Amino acid sequence: SRHDQEKALLKSTTLYIGNLSYHTTEEQIHELFGRAGDVKRIIMGLDKVRKTPCGFCFVEYYTRLDAENALRYINGTRLDDRIVRTDWDAGFKEGRQFGRG
Amino acid sequence: KRRRTEPVDIEDRLESLITRVGEKSTSSLESNLEGLASVLEADLPNYKVKIMRILCGCVVDLPEKQTVYTTLVGLLNAKNYTCGGEFVEMLVRNLKESLKSGEWENARMMVRFLADLVNCHVLVAASVLQMFDNFVEVTLEDNIPQVRSDVYVYMVLSSLPWVGRELFEKKETELNKLLDTVDAYISKRQKIHVPALRVWSVDEPHPQEEYLDCLWAQIRNLRSNKWLEKQINRPYMAFDSVLCDALQHTLPQIIPPSHNDEMVYPIPRIVFRLFDYTDVPEGTVLPGSHAIERYLIEEQIDRIIHTNYKERKDCAAALLSYPVKNLPLNYMIVEVMFAQLFQLPCAPYIELFYGSTLIELCKLQPSSMPQVLAQASEMLFERIDHMHTICIERLVHWFAYHLSNFHFRWSWEDWSEVTSMDIGMPKAMFVREVLLKCMRFSYHQNIVDSVPATFTTLLPEKPASEYKYDKEGAGSLPGTMAAHQLMSAIKAKCTPDEAAQLLRELPNKFPNGEDNDNSTYHPLKIDVFVSTLLFLGSKSFSHSFAALAKFYPNLKSLAETEEAQIYMLKVVYSTWRTHQQMMVVLVDKMLRTEVVQCQAVANWIFSESMQKDFTSFFVWEILHGTIKKMTKQVNQLQSEVDDARDRLDAAKRKEADGMEIFSDDEVPTEEMIERMEERLETATSQQKNLFLIIFQRFIMVLTEHLAKCESAGIDYNTPWYKWVIERLQHIFLQHHELVFKYINTLESLLFTSDIDIHILEVFQQFCALRS
Repeated sequence: SRHDQEKALLKSTTLYIGNLSYHTTEEQIHELFGRAGDVKRIIMGLDKVRKTPCGFCFVEYYTRLDAENALRYINGTRLDDRIVRTDWDAGFKEGRQFGRG
Repeated sequence: KRRRTEPVDIEDRLESLITRVGEKSTSSLESNLEGLASVLEADLPNYKVKIMRILCGCVVDLPEKQTVYTTLVGLLNAKNYTCGGEFVEMLVRNLKESLKSGEWENARMMVRFLADLVNCHVLVAASVLQMFDNFVEVTLEDNIPQVRSDVYVYMVLSSLPWVGRELFEKKETELNKLLDTVDAYISKRQKIHVPALRVWSVDEPHPQEEYLDCLWAQIRNLRSNKWLEKQINRPYMAFDSVLCDALQHTLPQIIPPSHNDEMVYPIPRIVFRLFDYTDVPEGTVLPGSHAIERYLIEEQIDRIIHTNYKERKDCAAALLSYPVKNLPLNYMIVEVMFAQLFQLPCAPYIELFYGSTLIELCKLQPSSMPQVLAQASEMLFERIDHMHTICIERLVHWFAYHLSNFHFRWSWEDWSEVTSMDIGMPKAMFVREVLLKCMRFSYHQNIVDSVPATFTTLLPEKPASEYKYDKEGAGSLPGTMAAHQLMSAIKAKCTPDEAAQLLRELPNKFPNGEDNDNSTYHPLKIDVFVSTLLFLGSKSFSHSFAALAKFYPNLKSLAETEEAQIYMLKVVYSTWRTHQQMMVVLVDKMLRTEVVQCQAVANWIFSESMQKDFTSFFVWEILHGTIKKMTKQVNQLQSEVDDARDRLDAAKRKEADGMEIFSDDEVPTEEMIERMEERLETATSQQKNLFLIIFQRFIMVLTEHLAKCESAGIDYNTPWYKWVIERLQHIFLQHHELVFKYINTLESLLFTSDIDIHILEVFQQFCALRS
C-alpha cells in the first residue's frame, strides 16, 4: 500500500539513479557514488529486450547516512556529461532492473 | 482542492519568526527587530519558556547572526527586565552543561553571546570579565593536558573582538591583567603537535601558524588598534538610546568544571593560508593574516558552512550573499573551503561536500568563481612539493571530481614540466593520480584525448585483465591444462565441487613450474582457480562478484592460511594490475566475505611484490579500507554484545518484578553472551594486531631506507621517503581515535627509544595532539 511504500522510503538505503548515459558503466557509478560512502551493490537498469544498460540504476548503501549524503551531494551533478538525478527507492526487487524495451 | 484550514501552531510561528529575523527582507533590520521585540513582548506572558528556548537555540545554531539576537535580547530586556534575567539564567545553565559534557563549540558560541550582551546593556562588563578570569585561570592548573587550557583560552580570545572595546573603556586595568595572563600562557605552550597538522612542510610563502598563536597575534593587533574593528555588524548601535536606559544583570559565577581523564578536548589546528593581498584583483583588499578582520570573516564563512552544509545549494547561495565591502569574498570562500578540505586529521564534513559545493559556487557565479578556483588550483599545484601526502590525496580526489563535471577541460600545457620528471616526484605523481582518477569517472580513450600528446608517459595503461593461460606459449605452463578444463566447466555451469575436482591433481608448484617447499599453501591451484575465475568475470564488477560468490567454498578452502591468502591477493594483482579500481573492489569483497583476513592484506601490501606500487595511491586506498572494515567489525560485535546484555538485564528485572517473560522476546542466555564476548575479544585483538603489523612494517621499511642512505652517504629525504613517512602519519591521523586506544602498547612495543628519531618523532607528534 501507499503507506507501506512511504514507510519503506523513510528507512531505505537504496537510491534510484536516472538520466544516465547508456554508455555509463557500473565502474563509473561505483566511483562517483562510492564517494558518499560504502556501496553495497549497484544494479544496472537494462533494456528489456537487448539486456543492455538503458539509463538508470539502483545504488544500495550499507547505511542510511551514506545514502543521504549521496542524495545531498550527487543529485544534480554530472557523470559522463549527464546531469544525474537521484531519488529514494523503496528497495530493489528482482525484475525491476528491466526498463523500457 | 481542499484548503488547509487548521490554525498554524503559534509556537511554530514564533520559532519561524525568530529564526528568520536578519535574513534578507524588504524592510530594514532595525524595523524588523523592533517589530519582533514587540510581538515577543506581547507573547511573553503565555509563551515565555518557549521563546527563551528558541533564543537559546539560535545562540548555538545560528551564531552567524549573533549580533541580531543579542540586539533582540537587549530590546526584550529593556522592555521587561525579568525576562532578560531569565534568558541569561537559562543560557548560563546551558553553558555550564556544555562545559561539563565537552560540547566545546556550543560553549564557545554561548560565551561569545554573553560577552556581546554587554554591548546591549544586558550584562555588566565586570561580570563578563570575571567569567573570562575564571576561564583563563585554567592555565594555572597543574597536571592538565595543554588542550584543556587551550580550549578555555580560545573561548575568551574569540569573544574579545565583540566585547574588547567595552572592557577597554570600562575596565582597562582588569582587561590588561587578563591579557598578561594569556600572554604568559601563550609563550610557554608546547608545540610538538604542530608538524603533525601542517599542510605544508615549509613556511614559504605563508607561515602556518598554530590556531591559538595566530588568534593571539590578531587580538594583539586589535588591542593596538584600541579594540576597533571593521567587520562586525552591530545592529544594537541603532538602538543605543533605548538600550542605554535598560537595567543590567550580573552574571553568576561560572567556574570551569575540573578536569577528569574521560574529558575529550578539541584537537589543535593550524591556520591554512593560500592567498595574500597580491593574489586578489585590484580594487579589493584581502586583510592581512594578523588582521582581526581576516579571523572574523573566516569564522563567519566557517559558520555559514556549518549551518548549511546539508544543503549544498543553500550553502553556496548563503556564502555568496555574505555582505562584505571591498573584500575579495570569492577568494576568502575558496580559501576557507580548502582550509577545511585539508584540515588534519580530518575535514569537518565529507570530502564530497566540498567538491559539489564548489561546483555549485561556480554555477552561481560563472563569471568569476571558476577563475578563482583555477587560480587556486594553479597555486596548489605549484606548491605540491611541500604539501602533505594526505592533502595531496584529497586534492587529487577533488580535482578529478571537479574536472569530471567540466568535460575534463584544463590547461594541461601549463603543467608540461611534469612530463620530463621522475614519476616519483610530487608534481608528476599528482598529475598521474589525477589522470587515474579521471579515468575512473570516464573511460581511457576520453582521458587520452583530453591531455596533450606529450603527457603519454603519465597516462595510465588501458585497464584490461591479464590471463596467462590464454597467451601464446602457455602450453608449457604446468597449470594450463587444468585452467582450460576449469574454464569450460565453469562456462557449462559446473558446481563448486566439480570445479574443485579439476584442481585435485595439480602439483604443489608455482605457476612458472618452480617447486613450492612451503606446504601451508598451494600457489598453482590458487593461480589456476582464481585467475580463471576473475578472467571469466572480467566483464564488470557484478560479473566478478557473482563469480566470487558462486565459488565461495573453493576460495575459502584454497585460502586457509595467511600465506595462501597473500598469494591469492598476488593473483588478483597480476590479473588486474592495470585496473586499480577493480583491485580495490575485489579486495574489499574478499575482506567482507572473509576469504582473506585484514592482516593478510596488510602483509601483502608491505611485501616485496608490491614494492613497485608502494607509493601508488590505490595501495593506500586498499589499506585504509582494510582498517575501516576491521573497525566496523569490532564496532558491530560491540553493539551486539551491548544489545544482548541490555536485553538480558531487562528480562532479569522483569522476572524480579514478577512479570511474565514471553518466549518470543528472544532473551539471550549468559552462555550466548559469553560466546559473543569471546568473538568480540578475538576481533579486538585482531584489530590491535593489525595496527601492530602495519606500524612494525612501516618501521622496517623506513629504517632500512634510512640505514641505506646513511651508509651510502646520501640524503635520506627522497621523494620515496616523503611518500612513505607521510603515509605513516596518514595511518595515525585517519584512525586517530582508535590508535589512541593502543598508544601504550605502541609505545612499549614499537615506538621505543632505539628506533630512528625521524620515525619516533612521528609518533611523538601524534601523541602530543591530545596532551
